Amino acid sequence: MNRFEVVTPRDLPNAVKLLSGRNHAALAGGVDLLDLLKQNIVAPQSLVNLKGVGAMDAIETDESGGVRIGALVKLSEVAANPTLRERYGAVAEAAAQAATPQVRNLATVGGNLLQRPRCWYFRHPDVNCLKKGGDRCYAPGGLNRYHAILGGGPSFIVHPSNLAPALVAFAASVKLIGPGGERTLELERFFTLPRIDPTRENVLDTGEVLIEVMIPAPAPGAASAYLEAREKQSFDWPLVSVAAIVVSDDTHLIRDARVVMGAVAPIPWRSHEAETALRGARLDSSAAARAAEVALKPAAPLSDNGYKVPIAKALVRRAVLRAGGIETA
Amino acid sequence: MDTPQTHQFKVIGTRPVRHDGLDKVIGRAKYGADYSFPGMLYGKVLRSPYAHARIKSINAEKALRLPGVKAVVTHDDFAPQTTAPVYRMGGEAAVNPLYLASNILAKDKVLYAGQGVAAVAATSPHIAEEALGLIEVEYEPLPIVLDVLDAMKPGAPIINTTIRRKERPDEETNIAGEFQFKRGDIEAGFKSADIIVEREFRTEMVHQGYIEPPNALGIFSGDGHATVYTSTQGPFDVRIMSATLLGLPEGSVKVVPAEIGGGFGAKLTVHIEPVALLLSKHAGGRPVKMVMTRTEMMRGATGPTSGSVLRVRMGATRDGKIVAAKCWFAYEAGAFPGSPVWLGCFTGLSPYNIDNFLVDGYDVLVNKPKTSSYRAPGATNAAFAVECVVDELAQRCGMDPLDFRIKNASREGTPSVMGPKFPRIGCVEVCEALKRSAHYQTPLAQVPGKYRGRGVAIGFWINGGMQSSAIVNVHADGTASLVTGSVDIGGSRASTAMVVAEVLGLRAEDVRPAVADTDSIGYTDGTGGSRVAFATGLAAYQAANDVVRQLKERAAKIWEISPEDVDWIDGKAVSKRNGVAPLTLKDLAPRLTRTGGPVTGRANVYATGVGPSFAGCLVDLEIDPDTAKVQVLRCTVVQDVGKAIHPSYVEGQMQGGTVQGLGWALNEEYVYDEKGNLRNASFLDYRMPTCLDLPMIDPVMVEVANPGHPLGVRGVGEVSIVPPPAAVANAVSAAVGTRITDLPISPPRLYRILAARHG
Amino acid sequence: MAKKQLVETTINGEPVEFLCEPRQSLLESLRDILGLTGSKEGCLTGDCGACTVLVDDRPVCSCLMLGVEARGKKITTVEGLAEGTKLHPLQQKFLEDASLQCGICTPGFLMSAKSLLDRNPNPTEAEIRYALAGNLCRCTGYDKIVRAVMDAAKVIQAR
Repeated sequence: MNRFEVVTPRDLPNAVKLLSGRNHAALAGGVDLLDLLKQNIVAPQSLVNLKGVGAMDAIETDESGGVRIGALVKLSEVAANPTLRERYGAVAEAAAQAATPQVRNLATVGGNLLQRPRCWYFRHPDVNCLKKGGDRCYAPGGLNRYHAILGGGPSFIVHPSNLAPALVAFAASVKLIGPGGERTLELERFFTLPRIDPTRENVLDTGEVLIEVMIPAPAPGAASAYLEAREKQSFDWPLVSVAAIVVSDDTHLIRDARVVMGAVAPIPWRSHEAETALRGARLDSSAAARAAEVALKPAAPLSDNGYKVPIAKALVRRAVLRAGGIETA
Repeated sequence: MDTPQTHQFKVIGTRPVRHDGLDKVIGRAKYGADYSFPGMLYGKVLRSPYAHARIKSINAEKALRLPGVKAVVTHDDFAPQTTAPVYRMGGEAAVNPLYLASNILAKDKVLYAGQGVAAVAATSPHIAEEALGLIEVEYEPLPIVLDVLDAMKPGAPIINTTIRRKERPDEETNIAGEFQFKRGDIEAGFKSADIIVEREFRTEMVHQGYIEPPNALGIFSGDGHATVYTSTQGPFDVRIMSATLLGLPEGSVKVVPAEIGGGFGAKLTVHIEPVALLLSKHAGGRPVKMVMTRTEMMRGATGPTSGSVLRVRMGATRDGKIVAAKCWFAYEAGAFPGSPVWLGCFTGLSPYNIDNFLVDGYDVLVNKPKTSSYRAPGATNAAFAVECVVDELAQRCGMDPLDFRIKNASREGTPSVMGPKFPRIGCVEVCEALKRSAHYQTPLAQVPGKYRGRGVAIGFWINGGMQSSAIVNVHADGTASLVTGSVDIGGSRASTAMVVAEVLGLRAEDVRPAVADTDSIGYTDGTGGSRVAFATGLAAYQAANDVVRQLKERAAKIWEISPEDVDWIDGKAVSKRNGVAPLTLKDLAPRLTRTGGPVTGRANVYATGVGPSFAGCLVDLEIDPDTAKVQVLRCTVVQDVGKAIHPSYVEGQMQGGTVQGLGWALNEEYVYDEKGNLRNASFLDYRMPTCLDLPMIDPVMVEVANPGHPLGVRGVGEVSIVPPPAAVANAVSAAVGTRITDLPISPPRLYRILAARHG
Repeated sequence: MAKKQLVETTINGEPVEFLCEPRQSLLESLRDILGLTGSKEGCLTGDCGACTVLVDDRPVCSCLMLGVEARGKKITTVEGLAEGTKLHPLQQKFLEDASLQCGICTPGFLMSAKSLLDRNPNPTEAEIRYALAGNLCRCTGYDKIVRAVMDAAKVIQAR
C-alpha cells in the first residue's frame, strides 16, 4: 500500500473539485478501495472521503412514486428498507445476499455499482492484464471458470455488482455530478462493454461522483424476484444471478417483463430476447423455459465456463416464475 | 475389574469451563501477533513471482536507502547449511536443513511462486512493504511442471538435480521418495475375486485454513542468546530449527509459545521464525515482529497439503469378503521432498483385514509450495480413494455399506498394513454405532426436482505418542498447578489439568494449567499427531502420581508410620495401619512446610502404547440439478475416542475435523494457472465453509479403551477429517448415479457430470 | 509521508484520542496504537471476520475501515463486551458450551452475535447462521457456536 492522505471535502462541489485533481480516489464504504490499495492495484495520492459531506445517505420516496437511494446508503440499509422490500423486492433481496453482514454494514450502493471486477488476473498485483492497461486478457487462454459467457471480448470479466441487475431490471437511473455539472443516466447506459474501453466498466468521468440512484415507480401489477446460484452461501460472489420483473394480471397474462442477468457478462446483461418472448404470453413453466432458452442463445462460453449457461437458464426460468407468483423448486 | 470404562471418575468425563477460556472471550489472551516490545521493528518477506527461475542477482541498495529500513537479509545470511538431517518429533521426523533454509529464503533458484527471496526489517509494516518493492531481483525463468503425472514422466523439467531413484542412480528425476507395503499374493487374490472395482481419483492441494496468520517476534541478544515469541504447535521444533538455521547452539534459543490461532499441522515447522531472528541480528538486536499476510500463507509460504492421483483396484468375493487390493498413490510433495504419501500408503487400507495387497506410493516434486502437515496428513487422500471403491464393491455385492465394512473390518490382532498386529481398536464399534445411529435408522426422503443421496465412509489414523514433560506443583491452599510444554490448540490445558485433578482428588478448577517456554519445561514434542491428551496427559498423570507418592510420605510422617502403610484412594491418603481419618490434598497442603518443604511432581515420558483411532462419517445431501449445488442436509460423525476426558472438546475435534473434510469435499482447492501462479490466494476465492453452508454436526463418541494408557485415552484430534470426502462423494454418487472420482465436487465440476449423465 | 492525523472517537464507552497515519486501518489503530489486541487479524481483506467490531452498534470488519474514519463514531470491541468482571451472556455461554477451540475467531463471533441479539433477542437457528455468516471458524464446525448463541438468547430473554 502506498502513502496517501485522506481529505474530507466541505461539500459535494468541493469533493468534485478535489476528485478532478490528479490521482485522487473517492472513498465511500472503502470495501473495494482498501482491497485495491492493499493489493497495490491502485495507488492514489489522496482519498477524498465522501462520507464527510453529510449527504447522499438517505432512502426517500419521491412525488412520482419512485424511490431515491443516496449513493452512501449501506447495503444493509437497502436490505432492511420496508419500501424497497415491499415494492422493489429484487433490489432488497440482492442487497441481502451480497457479501457478509459486516461488509453489508460498510459497503455502499455507489460502491457496489462502481466496484472493480473480481477477476483473478485483474486482482493479482503481478499480472498486467488488459484491464490494467496491459496488452491481453488472460481469461480466454487461461483459467476462466468464473468469466463472461455473454458480451465478452476483448476483456472477459463479469460485472461484480449484485445490485446492478436488480436496479437495471427496475429501469433505475443514476445521478452523476462532475466538473461539467450534473447529469442523469439510465443505469443500463451507465455500464459499458469492454469493446468500447476494456480498462473501465462504466462511463463515469474523472472528477464525477455518482450521488444517487433513482428507481421509478413500478408498473401496477409488477412483481420482482432475484435469485443467485453460488458455491457458498456467504463470502462469495454468485456464479450467476438473475433479476426478473413480471407485470401480469390475475390470469397470468404477461403485459411486460424485464430479465437481467448478473455474473455472466462484463455488464449487467439485460435480455431483450427473453422479455420479448414473455410479453403477451401466459406465464407458465413452458413460457419461462422459452424465455430462458432465448436469453442464453447468444451465449459464447470460454473453455471452462460453459456450466454457467444451463445454470443461467434455470435461474431465468425460476426467477420469472417466482416474480409471476408461481413458486418452483 | 476396574477398567477405564467401569471406573467411576469424578472429574474425567465432566465438562468444566476451560481454564484459559476467560481470557479468550474478553480479548485478553495473547496470541503471537499481540506481543510488542519497545523499539520493535516489523519484518516482511519478498516472494518470488516465478514458479521456477534462477536468481541471477539481488540488489537491496535502494531498499536500504529508504528511511526507516534497518536490515535486508537473504539466504546467504543464514549459517551455511548441509543436507545432514536434523531430527525432531521424537526422532520420527527428519528435517533437511538445506531444504528448510532454501524454502524459507531461496538459495540460487526459486522453485515455486511465493517462495521467499529476501526479507526486510523497518520501523513500520508499511515501510517494510514499500521496501520490498525497492529490492531488485533478476530472474532467469526456467520451465515448470505442475501436474504430478507430468512430473513423473521422462523428460519433465527437473526441480532438484541432485535427486535420484535408488534403482536408477544416473537419471535425474522428480520422484523424491518411493514406498511399498505388501502382503500375500496379489495375483492370486484378484483371481479369487468375483467382483473387481478399479478407479483413478484426483484431489487438489488444499490449505489448512487456520484463521491466525503465522507470526514471529524475534529478539537476538548481544550475548549470543535469542528469543522467539510465536504462535507455534511445536516450540521445541522452532527451537532446533531456528538454532540450526542461525548456527546457534540449540540451548541458546528460547521459544516462548504464544496462544495459537489454529494450525492443523502447518505450524509444526518454521516459516518465519528464523527470519525474524536473522533480521533482529542484522538490525542490532532490535526486536522484529513478522506477521504473514493471508496471500503469503495461501501462496504456500506455509505449505498446503498434497494434491494427489490415486489408483485403487480392489476385489471381493460375491459374499462380500475383500480378497485383494492394489493401490498406487502419487502425492505432490511441492518444491521440496516430503509429502505424506507414506502415511497415505499405510493408512488407506488399514480399516480392513485383507490377505493380499500391494501399495505403492510416490513422493513427487512439482513447482508448487512445499507441503506441510494437515490433520491426519496423507490419510484423507488415500481414504477418499479406498472408501469410494469399498462403497462400490459393497453396492456390487448387494450389501449394506456398513455391513460390508464390518465384515472386512480390522480388529484386535489383525496385522496392520505395516505388519505389527493391532492392539484393541474400535473399527467395528464405530461401524456398529453408525449403523445404530438415529440418522442411519431414518431413511432419506426424496423430494421432487432434487437429487438426494446418502453416503458413508470410515477412516483410520495412527496417532502419535512421543515425548512430553510435566510438572505439578502443590500450593499451600490445597490447589495445584500443572506446567507442560504442550501448546493448547483446542482445550488441552483443560484435559491435562483434569487428569491431574482426578488423581489428586481436586476439582478441575483447582488445577491451574500453564504452557511453559522452552527454558522452563523439559523437552516436549509438538502439539500434533493427536498426541497431547494422550502423551502429555500421560506425563501429567505420572507427575500427579509423583505428587501422590510424596504426599503419602508426608502423611506417613504425620501418622508416624511407614510410607508403605499409606494408600492413596479416591484422592485421599489412607492409613492401612490405624483408624486415623484420611488426609486429602487440602489437608496435607498446609502441612508441607513442616513435613519437609514444598512438593513438586515431575514426569518425562516417551509415550508408547499409542492407540490408533477410527472414525466414520454419514452424510445426507441434496443436489439442485439445475445449479449443481450440493447442500449438506445432515451429518453424523462417529469416532472411537478411547476415553473422553472433556467430552465437549472431544466432540469439538470431531465436528471441526468433519467440517474441514466437508470443505475439502465440496469447495476447497488450489487453482493454479499455467505459469504456476495460485489464482485463489485469499479467503474469498479459496472457499471454506461458513456456518450458513452447514447443518449441525452430530457427534457420537464410542469409547473403546486404549490398553496402552492408564486411563484408556486415545488421540482424538485428527481422524475425523479422514472419512468426509469419501462419504460426500459416495452420497453424490448415490444421488446422481455416477461415481465421483475428483475433488472438490463444486458446481463447475459437478455440472459436467450431471450434463454427461442427464443431458 | 502523509502526516499523521488526530482522531477523536469513543471506544468502549470512553472518549479516546489517537494519532494515526491515514493508511493505517481501524484494526491497526486499535491493535498497534491503542493496544486493544482483542480484535484479531485474520486476513486484512474483510474475508474472515476475526477483526469484527461494532461501529455505531453495527458489526463491521475493522480491517476494511481506516483509522481516520473512526472519527466521531462509537466503537465497541470485545474488550468492551463484559460489564467489568460480569461477562455478557454470550461470553458465558461460549465458555460453558465449549464454543471455542483455538479462540482466534471468538472475539469476532462474539461481536457479530451481540449485534444480532441486541436487535433480535429470539433468533431462529437460520437467523443466527445468517448473522454469523461473516465470521469464519476453522476449528469448531460452527455447531457449538450456534448453540451458544441460542443459549445466550435464552438467558437474555429470561431477564
